[in-house]
Amino acid sequence: MATTEGQKASVLLIVITMTMIKTFGLSRLFGNVTAVDNLTLAVEEGEVIGLLGPNGAGKTTTIRMLTGMIQPTSGYATVSGLRTDQQVEQLHEIIGLLPEVPGFYDRFSGKRNLEYFAGFYPLLDYRSQVEKYLKLIGLWERRHDKVGTYSKGMKHRLAIARALLHEPKVLFFDEPTVGLDPEASKEVRDLISKLREAGRTIFLSTHNLGEAELLCDRVAVINTKLLAIDTTEQLRNRFFRRQIMVQLESLDTRLVEIISNLSFVKEMSHGDNRLFLQLTEPEHNRSELIRAIVEAGGRIVEVSEQKYPLEEVYLKLIREVGHDS
Amino acid sequence: MIRRRIQNILLKEWELLFTDINSLLIVTLLPLLIVGQGILYFWLAFRFGGESMLGVSVFQTALQNLANAIPQVAQLPVDKQLLLLLLHQFNLFLLLIPTMIAINVATFSIVDEKLTGSLGALLATPVRTWELLLGKALAGAIPALVMTWISAGIFLIIVSLIGWGDLSDFLISGSWFLSLFLLTPAVAVLSFMLGVVGSSRAKDSRSAQNWSLAIIFPVLVLIGIQITGIIWFTPLLMLTLALGISVVNIISLRIASRLFQRETITIMWH
Repeated sequence: MATTEGQKASVLLIVITMTMIKTFGLSRLFGNVTAVDNLTLAVEEGEVIGLLGPNGAGKTTTIRMLTGMIQPTSGYATVSGLRTDQQVEQLHEIIGLLPEVPGFYDRFSGKRNLEYFAGFYPLLDYRSQVEKYLKLIGLWERRHDKVGTYSKGMKHRLAIARALLHEPKVLFFDEPTVGLDPEASKEVRDLISKLREAGRTIFLSTHNLGEAELLCDRVAVINTKLLAIDTTEQLRNRFFRRQIMVQLESLDTRLVEIISNLSFVKEMSHGDNRLFLQLTEPEHNRSELIRAIVEAGGRIVEVSEQKYPLEEVYLKLIREVGHDS
Repeated sequence: MIRRRIQNILLKEWELLFTDINSLLIVTLLPLLIVGQGILYFWLAFRFGGESMLGVSVFQTALQNLANAIPQVAQLPVDKQLLLLLLHQFNLFLLLIPTMIAINVATFSIVDEKLTGSLGALLATPVRTWELLLGKALAGAIPALVMTWISAGIFLIIVSLIGWGDLSDFLISGSWFLSLFLLTPAVAVLSFMLGVVGSSRAKDSRSAQNWSLAIIFPVLVLIGIQITGIIWFTPLLMLTLALGISVVNIISLRIASRLFQRETITIMWH
């Protein structure tokens, strides 16, 4: 069947994304203690998802089940179509794991450590892979130094390089910056950002909410059970109404009355030459609001949206949703 | 790929083993110490206790056992018979070498990985449990066997040098070869497996070694029951013993494999 150029072009524009990680009622018990309860989620190819939760919420257990290190008590998971409880060896060929403890041989050099771990994968040329990733993480110059002389941050970067050596389809990072100083944390975060830009699928657990917001496309909040999964923006909207703040040079009762009578203003409060407004459709109504204030003679100093920190969303989820469930 | 993975583990183990001074000394000096000590003890026993030993009934029974096993021994003077009886214990005495080396390598290798967390990272690769165990077992067993055989050679050379060379023909018997080439590998593997089991429970290599050194006592018991005439290890008995230990090895391998499951290591070893 003949196709037109236009049809060909539109076919080329379709981006086929694949669901890389799927869990179906994934649960794990340790004796009578439930570590993970009925976790069902999906992660798309190229997505960076953050697993958030307090200590003992089941983050590490979830990563261990998804990487085939431990078996679920019930339910199952697939990573790139492979069952994590049944096809462990094949699974380990397509995933990269950064465990909480980097785990290197301190008496070996960074390069020798990577070469050793690379030796377990069916690679064509693992030496060039080792070189490529040592350069990427900025440790090429120190490649011959013993790992025992590396800083914590360097060891974490080296562990990320190890996770990448075999070009895995999915990366699992368990608390990638835990125990690192701010500088080392930033180095690791920058590296993860690079991987995100390169379109890698990353599943990371973290306590650090700022890190999750910075690095992740979506976050999954768990406390044994899955409490919520969405973008940080959508989670904010779900739990907190968006509020616009307008700072004026001066504010009089006439202006307050005009603004409060606008059809798209749902709620308004004021004080200290500031207006706090909730709009029907914040994206669309914002410019209309500014125009109305200017037409009414108001002199605007600043317009901003009051953003609730992710921490507040997280705490609300853990305290309220987690408690209810 | 399987061969590459096992080779990878083997080479890594050796690189770590031979760059650690303590382990290197255990692998190289310990066998020499055992040979030297063994010859010294037997010489002292022969030199200073010879006559009194001949009057003890257990040694008389042991000498009778030796004569039954090697009839030509009866033609030797009694003091030579006694010396031969003592030297004949050496093939069992040599079993201490694979025992100690294999235990040391197993505990050094596993406890070290356990403490650094490298085992957890290793288990996230496609390596299979049996490949990992085999690689580590070979890393311990090969130097243990090589050093045992070298020690046996050194022993024979020393025996000739100190003027007992005429007894060498009696020493190099069927039992000697069965001990070196069947019993020694079986004991090396058993020691390694016990090292693995001990290491899985231990928090550091010293406590792992203490736990698994229990295997040395049965080796000493073997020497004791032969030299006191209770049992003489004929080639058939040596073969039976080697087969018996191989059966125990299969059981220990199953226990070690279970302890080496990813889940066990991930949950219990951290």
